[in-house]
Amino acid sequence: MARAIRSTNSRVDLIVLAAAAMLALVARGLPPNLRDPVASSMRRTFLAPLVMLQERAEASRRSLLLDNERTAIRDSVSLRAMTVGALESENDRLRQLIGLGARLRWGFIPAEAIHGRGVRDVTTMTLTAGSNAGVRRLSPVISPEGVVGVVTNVDPTMSEAMIWTHPDFRVSAMSADGSAFGIMQAHAPSATTGYLMELRGIPFRSTLKPGTLIVSSGLGGVWARGIPIGTVLSEISTAEGWARTYLLKPVVSPADVGAVMILRNDRVTKGFENVWTSVAAADAAAQRIVVAGDSAARSAALAEAAARRAALDTTRRDSTAGGQIPGGLPPELMPDTLMRPPGAARTLDSAAAAARQEAARRAAARRDSARRDSAAADSIVPRSPTRGI
Amino acid sequence: MNLGSMARAVATFAILVILHYTLRPLLGWRAPMDFLVLALLLGSIRVRPAIGALFGLALGIVSDSLTPDALGAGAVAMTVVGYLASWLKAVFFADNLALNAFFFFLGKWVFDVIFFIVEQRLGGIELVQQLLLWSPLSAAATALAGILLLFIMKPLLEPARV
Repeated sequence: MARAIRSTNSRVDLIVLAAAAMLALVARGLPPNLRDPVASSMRRTFLAPLVMLQERAEASRRSLLLDNERTAIRDSVSLRAMTVGALESENDRLRQLIGLGARLRWGFIPAEAIHGRGVRDVTTMTLTAGSNAGVRRLSPVISPEGVVGVVTNVDPTMSEAMIWTHPDFRVSAMSADGSAFGIMQAHAPSATTGYLMELRGIPFRSTLKPGTLIVSSGLGGVWARGIPIGTVLSEISTAEGWARTYLLKPVVSPADVGAVMILRNDRVTKGFENVWTSVAAADAAAQRIVVAGDSAARSAALAEAAARRAALDTTRRDSTAGGQIPGGLPPELMPDTLMRPPGAARTLDSAAAAARQEAARRAAARRDSARRDSAAADSIVPRSPTRGI
Repeated sequence: MNLGSMARAVATFAILVILHYTLRPLLGWRAPMDFLVLALLLGSIRVRPAIGALFGLALGIVSDSLTPDALGAGAVAMTVVGYLASWLKAVFFADNLALNAFFFFLGKWVFDVIFFIVEQRLGGIELVQQLLLWSPLSAAATALAGILLLFIMKPLLEPARV
């Protein structure tokens, strides 16, 4: 009996196995257009959480695998970011140098300053231009900010310059308004003040306020007049009782000198009037240009609005004269062909067109004048600090 | 099978399914362990062969839905493996880890053999390489994982005495 039951159960199991295997094979044999919707519907419904789990696990694996690569990329980006500041400052400096070159126009030799690391190199530097390029002894070395030094030794391809920090360096200097003359030399550096200048030999009758710009006076023949040297910080007391001595903040920091210009003698004798324009003057000019542009645009917009209003007023007058029905559509919503005869429409159109043309002409004239103003502002030679001396 | 045993079986099944869809893709091995086959084997030994076959069919269809090109292949393989596992339940009851590992290995390998033959995606050398190299490796990994799970989840995996 038990054997019979077991046999029946085994037969049932085999039948179920065969049926299940058959179903699976049928599923395997389904064409793709039937198979895909079935699989897709299962993935979208009860399998969705499992699909999501699998996606996240694979994303985690990818993240783990890419971690080293990302770290390397992050490190390299950080490294590059550290050099961005230096590159930006170098870029700004080169732009300034290009601007100075454009203002000088001729008579200069561009060179790169090579700083040494020795004690003596604080006061001298090597320049990458020599006699082959036209450099001569005692040629002035300048930067976009002003006085840097003077060439002391010249080789065919290199030259050596004495920076203003050198104890033997002197420049005949004056205040920008020409009220006081003196001799600039390096101030003995200290740990707290860094590199500063002294302006010696200022007569007692002349007093300089802090912030006064000091430029080269042009006396002596080496330096031309008007090259910025520094600004007055304060008066200092010295043993000399016959003149005042002022402490100056230099316009050129020795550590920041990179690209410089070596002036040729013929350029020095020609002078540097108007080469060093102040930043404030340039800003003011730029603001004037912007304001002029804005006002011109505003005027043009107002003129155009006035022309439109005039055209609409004319339209209303014409429509009222033509028998507009009170309570009907407003004139601006009436079709032209219904509102007035063809002749009136032509008159109206021509009036509006004339008004628009007039407004456009005025706007163009304003824009031209604004352009002329801005061009003039650009070409206006700012008053030199040394003019009138 | 009483209610407690049923609940333990369902919990074990859920854990194995979750492991299959999380740990397996996270590891990303070339010869991966197959937690679904483990779930099938551990589930089938608790039921009659016919139920094991139907369980395998359902599990196979579900797993195949994530790889539509192979829809049906996994179902055929799991149906057969489920039936065989249930038929060989007496062997599984042996309290011998090595024997259990051997049957996990065998179950996974049989599954792979049927799956790759029915799927017909691989042929020639590739099929031989898969069945004689990667499938045994995968079966070994599955067996190791199964033994580890048997050890860890022993309270949950106590089979019902029939």
